Amino acid sequence: MTELGKVYGRSSSRFAAEAARLAVADAGLLLSDVDGLLVSAGVANDVGLGLQVELGLRDLAVLTQMQAFGSTAGAMVQYASMAVEAGMAEVVVCVFGDAPLAEGSGAGNAYSDGHRTPAGWAGIQRSTGAVTPNVLYSLAARRHMLRYGTTSEQFGAIAVAQRDWAVLNPLAQMRTPITLADHQNSRIISDPFHLFDCCLVSNGGVAVVVTTAERARDLKQPPVHVLGWAQSHPGTRLRRNDDFGLVTGAARSGPAAMAMAGVTTDDIDIVEIYDCYTYTALVTLEDYGFCGKGEGGEFVSTPGNLGPEGKLKMNTGGGQLSSYYMWGMTPLSEAVLQARGQAGARQQDRNELILVSGNGGILDHHSTLIVGS
Amino acid sequence: MNIQPVVRDAATAAFFDGAARGVFLLRRSAESGEIVTPSAEQDSVGNTDLDWMEASGRGRVVSWAFVPQRVAGSDSPVELTIGVVELDEGPWWWTQLVGVDRDAVAEGLRVRAVFPKSGPAETDEYVPVFAPVADESAGPD
Repeated sequence: MTELGKVYGRSSSRFAAEAARLAVADAGLLLSDVDGLLVSAGVANDVGLGLQVELGLRDLAVLTQMQAFGSTAGAMVQYASMAVEAGMAEVVVCVFGDAPLAEGSGAGNAYSDGHRTPAGWAGIQRSTGAVTPNVLYSLAARRHMLRYGTTSEQFGAIAVAQRDWAVLNPLAQMRTPITLADHQNSRIISDPFHLFDCCLVSNGGVAVVVTTAERARDLKQPPVHVLGWAQSHPGTRLRRNDDFGLVTGAARSGPAAMAMAGVTTDDIDIVEIYDCYTYTALVTLEDYGFCGKGEGGEFVSTPGNLGPEGKLKMNTGGGQLSSYYMWGMTPLSEAVLQARGQAGARQQDRNELILVSGNGGILDHHSTLIVGS
Repeated sequence: MNIQPVVRDAATAAFFDGAARGVFLLRRSAESGEIVTPSAEQDSVGNTDLDWMEASGRGRVVSWAFVPQRVAGSDSPVELTIGVVELDEGPWWWTQLVGVDRDAVAEGLRVRAVFPKSGPAETDEYVPVFAPVADESAGPD
């Protein structure tokens, strides 16, 4: 991964190229070994197939740009694994680059999709204010609160626990501990969400290299095995969905990925959950079965469950709330570091099975990976 | 209320015509009878024979959020209430809730569509937002 966070003066594409070079070198490979490239960009959609030429990659057997929003990173690893298994390619680089932060402009502007109202259907919702991810996710979270009695303080428990992890992570943007009172006193973004319920916005690039287990054995880094995977795309964006906010694509994707790996939630050592909002992590834990449906609020706020000393090792790098926001590469990159035993002060002894989630759109796209050391 | 100007295109002309005369239009398949959201091009099984139908413009609140907004040239922030409304005919609509008391918003709150003009220009359309229904028995108003 490149330098992450408030890093200015580089384009998404340059971050992506840098991340790809770093990942290939980290693996002990040369760019000339690469025969597959999957590229993905952030909201600006500004990393394309030109990355191949920028990296000087000749005669690729696999090349495409992918976009499933926050579920893309997990999905890229899935397609790369299938390409490798099928013998279509042997060394596939999966890369994400994004540069939504502009110097001197607030993070809030990065995802507000501008001030111009488009004509037609897209414009109607925009004109009345039902626009940004902050607003749309807070509508989902409200529904969870109404149905199950989940509270803002329970969301806050996730923010506090993840900040405690971030304190241990030199890669994290936010490393000052916070209390539940800090969460409650942080400004309202879209009630029920406070500022500390919302992820960071970061510039940077992250890449992973997918190859055969046989080839990986001889490379520079300890291999991380891809043991199970699945996706789920409910297809209900801005349409009636009686499960809205209550049950997400994770409820299909998680069990399917665990079944493929032949494991259950009890076997999982570490979970790296997509946490664009505190609420997202909470509902995903329920959907994956780490607690019962509707019991997420109680689960995350019960002392001893989350945080570095907790029973459930969740978002060990601080997650998107406190470390860095590289879409699905945030949970994936932390999972890789943990699986390799390279997570420093936050390294977990039990790191054999790690679950990684990805979530995109407004709970519209979900991917799950089970990886192991 | 804080509405941004919006203009029509070919796909939304009929809907905005309805809005201008205070009617919320939905679409219905002649084959299946299924009622779908106005932007839909087909029903849930692929029938594309959709006719426009006049909906009641009434519904109930499914979810809501209070969204602070800065107003240009003013120090006093405004708070928008954004909500999801389940229309009585079935489809859901993401929209602004107007004239609602912060403490009175609740799941199931009965609301009806009202259609403010979205901007001063002649081409700025009327858009549906939803206000509490004062008296359900009073009928359409």
